[in-house]
Amino acid sequence: MSRPFPYTYISCPCVERPVSDPSRKKETSPRKGSSQPAPEINDNDDEEEEKDFDPRSPRANFSLYPPEQLLYCEDCHQIKCPRCITEEIVCWYCPSCLFETPSSMVRSEGNRCARNCFSCPICTAPLAVSTLENVSGSGSQQGPWVLSCGYCMWTTLDIGIKFDKPTNIRNQLSKMTESSRGRQMSRAYGDLKSPLSPLATAYSTVDGPEVPPDDGKPPADEDPAVLGPDARFAALKAFYRNQLSETSASPNDPLGTDFGAGFSSPGALNRIMSLYTSSTLSGLYGGNSKKSKPKPLMMREAQTASEGLKLAASDAEDTIIQRMASDDCGWEGLASSEQRVFQFPEARFVEDLLPLPTLLRTKRSKRCKSCKHILVKPEFKPQSTRFRIRLIALSYIPLTTIRPLAVSPSSGVTSSTTLLAAPTPDLNALQPLQPIQILLTLKNHMFDPVRVTLGTPSVTPGAVATKVTILCPQFDIGANSDVWDEALQASNPADQRSSRSGLTGGYEKVAEAGKVWDKGRNWTTVVLEVVPGLLERKTGTLNTKEKKDEEDAKDARHARDATSDGGWSDSDENETTPPPGHGLGLETQSSPAPAQPDEDVLEIPVFVRMEWDSENQMEQPVAKGKPEMVKRELAYWMVLGVGRIEY
Amino acid sequence: MPPKAAKGEYIETDTGNKISRRSNIHGTQHIILGGKTVIQTDAVIRGDLYRLPGAHPSSSSSTTGDSGEPTPAPAPAAPNTPSVAVSIGRYSYVSKQAVLRPPSRLHRGVHSFYPLKIGDHVFIGERAVVEAASVGNHVHIGCDAVVGSMAILKDFAYVLDGAVIPPGMVVPSWCVVGGAPARIVGEVGEGYGVEGAEGGLARERYRLVGR
Repeated sequence: MSRPFPYTYISCPCVERPVSDPSRKKETSPRKGSSQPAPEINDNDDEEEEKDFDPRSPRANFSLYPPEQLLYCEDCHQIKCPRCITEEIVCWYCPSCLFETPSSMVRSEGNRCARNCFSCPICTAPLAVSTLENVSGSGSQQGPWVLSCGYCMWTTLDIGIKFDKPTNIRNQLSKMTESSRGRQMSRAYGDLKSPLSPLATAYSTVDGPEVPPDDGKPPADEDPAVLGPDARFAALKAFYRNQLSETSASPNDPLGTDFGAGFSSPGALNRIMSLYTSSTLSGLYGGNSKKSKPKPLMMREAQTASEGLKLAASDAEDTIIQRMASDDCGWEGLASSEQRVFQFPEARFVEDLLPLPTLLRTKRSKRCKSCKHILVKPEFKPQSTRFRIRLIALSYIPLTTIRPLAVSPSSGVTSSTTLLAAPTPDLNALQPLQPIQILLTLKNHMFDPVRVTLGTPSVTPGAVATKVTILCPQFDIGANSDVWDEALQASNPADQRSSRSGLTGGYEKVAEAGKVWDKGRNWTTVVLEVVPGLLERKTGTLNTKEKKDEEDAKDARHARDATSDGGWSDSDENETTPPPGHGLGLETQSSPAPAQPDEDVLEIPVFVRMEWDSENQMEQPVAKGKPEMVKRELAYWMVLGVGRIEY
Repeated sequence: MPPKAAKGEYIETDTGNKISRRSNIHGTQHIILGGKTVIQTDAVIRGDLYRLPGAHPSSSSSTTGDSGEPTPAPAPAAPNTPSVAVSIGRYSYVSKQAVLRPPSRLHRGVHSFYPLKIGDHVFIGERAVVEAASVGNHVHIGCDAVVGSMAILKDFAYVLDGAVIPPGMVVPSWCVVGGAPARIVGEVGEGYGVEGAEGGLARERYRLVGR
C-alpha cells in the first residue's frame, strides 16, 4: 500500500522518547509544553535543529505513519502511534458471517468460526455451501451438500466429503473427519474442543487423577491409531499434567511444578504455598520437612495409545514416499508448505487437507500506554462502524495537503495559454534543478486558532540534495467553527475555488516570500519552493551496508502500511521486488538505475510546531473558578512525499 | 470529434453526476445514480444485466410450491417494480475502464442477476471489475482489482491494487484486503474516512473532475 504522490507521513515523537524509560530526564522532543516559558521552547527548538529528522534513516522510517493511523491523547497532549498504545479486545467476530462469538466460547472452542464459514485449504478463499442437486423444481433441496471454493473450484467432494444438511457444518465435519479416517469417535474430550481450553483440562482431570494408568487400563485394548489428532493432544496433555502433579506431589519441592505452573492451577497454588512453607516454615522448624520429603517419582513418557502415544508404523515413510512417487500423486498431489501450516502435521497430500474454519477477528479498543486513558473505543457490535470514543490525531493536528502549483514559465508565454493548459509538474518525473512550487495547505480542525511554525532543512538529507525553501514559515490558521458557519461559508464556493486553484481572475498569482499564499476560514496555504537535486548516477560512495539498511527500512514501511495483523501471513505481500539494477553492483556505470532503491524519491522533512491557547481542562490543578486559557504547544516532524526525481 | 470536445468531456446531470461522454453505459433505465457521482472515460456499467421479471417469480413460485417451507431466497424483488441493476450512491467515483457488472448466480438451475449496490464515497480504481452484491460506504477499490460475484464489501473496506476478491467473500469494515485470492492483510487506521484525509477525499475528487 505504498501511497501515490503526494503523500504525507507524520513521525510520532515517541521515536525519540523511549517509552520504557520514563526516568530519562532530558527529553529531546518538546512534548508537553502546556505552559512552558518561551526560552525553554527556544531551547528545545535549538536542540531540534541540531539533529534534523532524516526520513531516510532506517530508524526514522519505523516512526513514520500516515496521519489517519495516529491517535491523540488529550491527557498527555501528544500524538500516539500504534507503538504508544495498548489494545484490548472488545469483541470477537467472524469476518465471513460477521456474527459475534462470545469470548467465553472463544476460550473454550478456539478462535474459529463455529458456523458454516470455512476457507479453502488450497487457496484460502472462502468456501460456499452449495447443493449437488442443482435441478430446478423437483429437487426439494434435500440433496447432499458440499463446500465449494469459488476461486480455485475445489470442493469437499475432492476429499470425499458430503454433508447431509446445510447447517452446522462444522459439527458435521468434525464428526466425519474423526470417523472417516478409520478412527472411532474420539472420546469425551475429543470432539474438537480447543486443546488449550480450560474446559478440556477440566475434562481430563476428571478421568485421570489416579495412579499410573498403565496398569489401570489394559494397554492396547484399541488399535493404536484410535485417537484423532485433537483427542491425542488432549490425551497427551492430560497425561503430562498427571505426571507433573504426581512427580511433584510433595509440596516442599518448589521447583517441581515450575514447568507445569502455566496450565495446572492446583500445581501453581502448590508451588506458591510450597515457596512459603519451604522457605519460612522449614527454616523455623528445622529440617522436619526435609525428612518428610519422599523421593520424587520419576517422570515417564506416554506408553499407551490411550495416553496419547502414537507409534509410527515401520513402513510409514516408505508408503509416503511411494505415494509421492506414484503417477497419480505428482507434484499437484502434494500439499505445499503454506497449505500444511494450517493443517494437521501428518497431512502431506492434497487429499489430506481439510476445510479450515474461518479465523475470527477482533474489534479492539485502544489505550494510551503511558496514562492509560482510552483513546479509541468502538461500538460493541461487530457490524457497527461507529465509535464511542475516537481521539484521532487528525482532529488535533492540522490536516496537511500538498499540491504542486502549475508551472509558471518565466519566459514570455501569453497568459491565455497558461490559463488553458497550465501544466502541473508530473510528480513521478520531477525535473532536476528545475524549481517547482508546492502549495502546502494546513487545515485546522480544532476550535482554537493555531499559530504554526514550519521548519525544514534547507537541503534535504540523503544522497540527492534538494533545496527546499518555505516562503512563509510562520502563519496562523483560523479556528474551526461549527458546521453551520461552514455551510454559510460554502455558499460562495466559486470564489473559494478560484482562489485555491491559484488563478485569481486573469492574472497569475506570484508567490512572495513572507506572505501566505492563500487563507480561508480554518486553513492556510503557503508555498514551498523546491529545487530537486541532481540525481548522481552510480557514484560508488554509498557502501552496501547503508544501502541495505535503507532498503530494510523501506520494506518495513511498506509492510507497516499494510499492517499485517491478518490471520493469514501473506507471503506475497512481503516480497518486494528489487528494483532494476539492484544487486548488480555499484560499479556498473552503464545501467541507468539510481544507486539505491527509492533514492530518487523526493521526501521533505518538515518540522511543525503549533501553538494555541485553549481552555484549561479539569485535570490541571489550577483552582480557579473561570476557565483559564492555557498555552499549548505541539511539535512533530512530518515528511512530505513530493514526487520522484527524473534522472 | 472536435465539437464534442468543445462541449466538455462530462455531462453533468441535475443531481450533479458527472458522466463522461465516452463512458459505456448500458441499460440506463436500470441504473440509479445517487448524485455527484463521477463516471469516467471508458467505464462500463452493465445496467442491461438486470433480473428478468419473468424469471424470478417462476423460480420462486416453484420452490415455495414444492418445498412448502420458507426457504431463504435472497431478496425477492417485487415483480412489478422496474428492477434495478446497478445503484450507486453519492460522491462515488468510477475510474477509467472500470467495469461494473451486476452479480449473477445459478440458483436452483436458474441463472439470474442480482442488483449491484454501491454506497457513498466509493472509489473504484482504473480497470477494476466489480461484480459485488453490495459495496458499502467509503470503500476503496484499487486499480486492476477484481471483486468477484456476490462479494460483499462493508463500509470502509480497502481493496488493494490488483487484489482478486473471490466470489462470495465478505470483507468486514476497516479491513484491508489484498492478493489473489484476497485475504485480510490489515486494517486501516481509525482516522480513515475523515473528510479531507485518506478515505475522505471523495468530495475533493468530485470537485476536481472536469475542471
